[in-house]
Amino acid sequence: MTEVSIEKLTKSYGNARAVNAISMKIAEGEFISLLGPSGCGKTTTLKMIAGFEDVTEGAIRFDGQDVVNTPAEKRDIGMVFQNYALFPHMTVEQNLAFGLEMRKVPKPQMRERIAKVLDMVQLKGYEARYPRQLSGGQQQRVALGRALVIEPKILLLDEPLANLDAKLREEMRVFIRDLQRRVGITTVYVTHDQAEAMTMSDRVVVMFGGRIAQIGSPTDIYERPENHEVAEFVGQVNLVQAKVESVGEGTATVTSPLGDFTLPTKISVKPGNMVSLALRPEAIELSKATEGQPAATVLASYYSGALMDYRLKLDNGDELHAQTFPVNRFAEGDRVALHAPAERFWLVGVSK
Amino acid sequence: MSPGKTKGIGPYLLIAPAGLLLAVFLVLPYLNIGVMSFRVPGQGTPYGEGFTLVNYARFFADSFYIWQVVNTLWIGFLTTAICLVIGFPVAWQLTRPNMRFRGLAYGLVLSPLLVGIVIRSYGWTILLGNNGLINRTLTNMGLIDSPLPLMYNALGIIIALVHVFLPFMILPIMNGIQGIDPSLEAAARSLGASRTTAFRRIVLPLSMPGIQAGCILVFVLSLSAYVTPSLIGGLKVKTMAVTVVDALIDTFQWPFGSALALMLSVTGAVIVVIFGRMTRMKWKVA
Amino acid sequence: MSRPFLTGYCLLIYAFLLAPILVVVGASFNAGAFLTFPPQGLSFRWYITFFNNEVFMRAIRTSLWVAFVTMIISGVIGTMAALFHVLHARRSKDVVRIAMLAPLLLPEVLTAISLLFFVYAIGIGTQNMVGMIIGHVLITLPFVFINVSASLESFDPSWDMAARSLGAPKLVRFRRIMLPMIKSGVIGGCLFAFIISFDIFTISFMLKGVGTSTLPIQLFDYLRTNFTPEAAAVSTVSIVLTLTVVIISEKVLGLRIHRF
Repeated sequence: MTEVSIEKLTKSYGNARAVNAISMKIAEGEFISLLGPSGCGKTTTLKMIAGFEDVTEGAIRFDGQDVVNTPAEKRDIGMVFQNYALFPHMTVEQNLAFGLEMRKVPKPQMRERIAKVLDMVQLKGYEARYPRQLSGGQQQRVALGRALVIEPKILLLDEPLANLDAKLREEMRVFIRDLQRRVGITTVYVTHDQAEAMTMSDRVVVMFGGRIAQIGSPTDIYERPENHEVAEFVGQVNLVQAKVESVGEGTATVTSPLGDFTLPTKISVKPGNMVSLALRPEAIELSKATEGQPAATVLASYYSGALMDYRLKLDNGDELHAQTFPVNRFAEGDRVALHAPAERFWLVGVSK
Repeated sequence: MSPGKTKGIGPYLLIAPAGLLLAVFLVLPYLNIGVMSFRVPGQGTPYGEGFTLVNYARFFADSFYIWQVVNTLWIGFLTTAICLVIGFPVAWQLTRPNMRFRGLAYGLVLSPLLVGIVIRSYGWTILLGNNGLINRTLTNMGLIDSPLPLMYNALGIIIALVHVFLPFMILPIMNGIQGIDPSLEAAARSLGASRTTAFRRIVLPLSMPGIQAGCILVFVLSLSAYVTPSLIGGLKVKTMAVTVVDALIDTFQWPFGSALALMLSVTGAVIVVIFGRMTRMKWKVA
Repeated sequence: MSRPFLTGYCLLIYAFLLAPILVVVGASFNAGAFLTFPPQGLSFRWYITFFNNEVFMRAIRTSLWVAFVTMIISGVIGTMAALFHVLHARRSKDVVRIAMLAPLLLPEVLTAISLLFFVYAIGIGTQNMVGMIIGHVLITLPFVFINVSASLESFDPSWDMAARSLGAPKLVRFRRIMLPMIKSGVIGGCLFAFIISFDIFTISFMLKGVGTSTLPIQLFDYLRTNFTPEAAAVSTVSIVLTLTVVIISEKVLGLRIHRF
């Protein structure tokens, strides 16, 4: 079990900074995801942790020991690659044995550990197969097994599910998460898929342009995003115009077409300011319009099986997106009442 | 990202032997032959002391050599053109997805490459000679009275050169056609183009780089061909390469031979560059 | 062009490609003293004449020896260059590629002449086979380079990274991951270098010394003055030798040789 700490880690290519002085601490046994759009520096960060990219500045410590100058082959990491990188000329067993051979593990012990891992990744009986004889999901599990059999200090995964189809991807999310819990290994997972990061991680690191935008639990990231960019990246957001009525200790009271609320605020506002309120589509509940409730007109509705999506128009002309269970269905042109609990709103900024 | 990335001079040790070999035994010799063409012709030795322009003057003063260059270029041009015309359909057929016996056909296209050039030219002398297979057969059938002049002339040289270099035309064109996404042709057909139109408007333009590479390769190769013209052309028809080699090996005129070789090469290079410009393609090396 | 017409046309071209080779093989079994048609019966007499002809036998030994030495030198140098080109070259990538292919793109006759003058200028001369072998290495180098590069291009860098993450040091990675993966490219390139070298004419013709004639040279000299079917027998043996190498490489070793 290893604790990883990253301090002011920087990677420059000429004048461009792919990773810009990021710092984070990863606890023993923690599952952490690096989430962000392509080019945000998440993969570069992972490669620096693995030792495949040189570090321009900063430190990477495994249990307090700086590994920046340790070559990848001496870092004792387990890595799963996006394309699995299974050795095509070796059988499943030979792939699994490779890392153990490098560690000069005696034969009987080796066989025992391989058997244990094959059991873990549910591939018993596939020892003699070559990678090309396996399905994508099986190859994925061999890659996982190959990384785990060496019992590394940390497990690094670089978008390992990107090449799988949607259904298998969801199964593997759960599989990897459960396996990681059981083994209890410190894990860094790189992905651009927010749902993947949410379901699997203890904590998510959202990265934009080589910097960390927010570190927090999936709930924090989703429900209390620190800025609009994070909010947009991890889900859909509605913005509603509101006016500040009064200001308290770290709070502000606003009036909006959806009602009056008192909300915590991290930004400084003055009474009379126009601000934007952010709200997730699924935080809105709809019912038949009644007097005295904020109301809207249904512009369009979309059925997607588990959920209904609505495009709504407020009376002031603003548009909203709402997502509900298809219990009560509304048709185009219907008047609906809007309900949204105050704790699901957050204040994102002053507008002129 | 490169595997096994190392710092320092390590990687350069990998390229050093090849670099050294090419620098010493390709670049220096080519510079040397340039210098040689300005040497004074020797008396009893391959070359004399000092430098002169007399070798080039001799070339330009004698219409015999000029005509020989023109003749060689003409043979090269015809060889290239014929290779293109007869090679393209073969390349096209070889890239059809539903073709049967593809492996065999591909092997046939490559077969001349695996047989030495002397042997192939020899084969043509057996076929084309006055007492050769073709003339004998025609005579025996009573179709001709005297043998057709198939050898010891430009016709024989071109027939044999086309045979020798046809694979060098077919392979780049095949590579070009294989690089074309088959759905492009399907897309053109779905937009209402006939098979012929789809071929003319889509496949042909996209296979131009392959055609160009093939043409350049065949043209350059036929200009410098020595064995075939020498065996098939005999003493009567000489191409420039034959004259150059004779000047060097038989008469030891090194400076003059160098000048001749360079004049032919420079002319060939200029034509290739003009051809490249005219077809307006960025030509890639095969 | 309609399908049957295209097929017929292509068959004609294949016949054209094969004709001179078949004629040579056919002529080698001619029992007559001259190349006459129709042949005067079948016989192996010209093969027996050939095998008893010390000049040709020496030429064939010379050719095999030169091709073997060329293959080894070209194989090593070309593989190293390909490793540099694919794995390490950055900005120099195009330059390296053009330089490595240069011997293929330059007219062989000019290369041969240049090299001839040069070996005299630096005193190697043509007393031994050094100059000729250098020429053969130059000509065959691009083929090794192309074959090894092609197999390296399909080498996925993440295999090497995976091996690193599993703790494999550089040499182990080269031996256990890289080498098995590019083996077919290296062997294919070497065998092709052998075949090419065996058939090289112009370079050998210019750089041959006394008693170092290779088979194509000996055959060429012979054909200038003789017309007996012995030349056909020599040619046929040479074709069979080449074919054997090709069949071994493609069928037995299962290799796909990249010609371009």
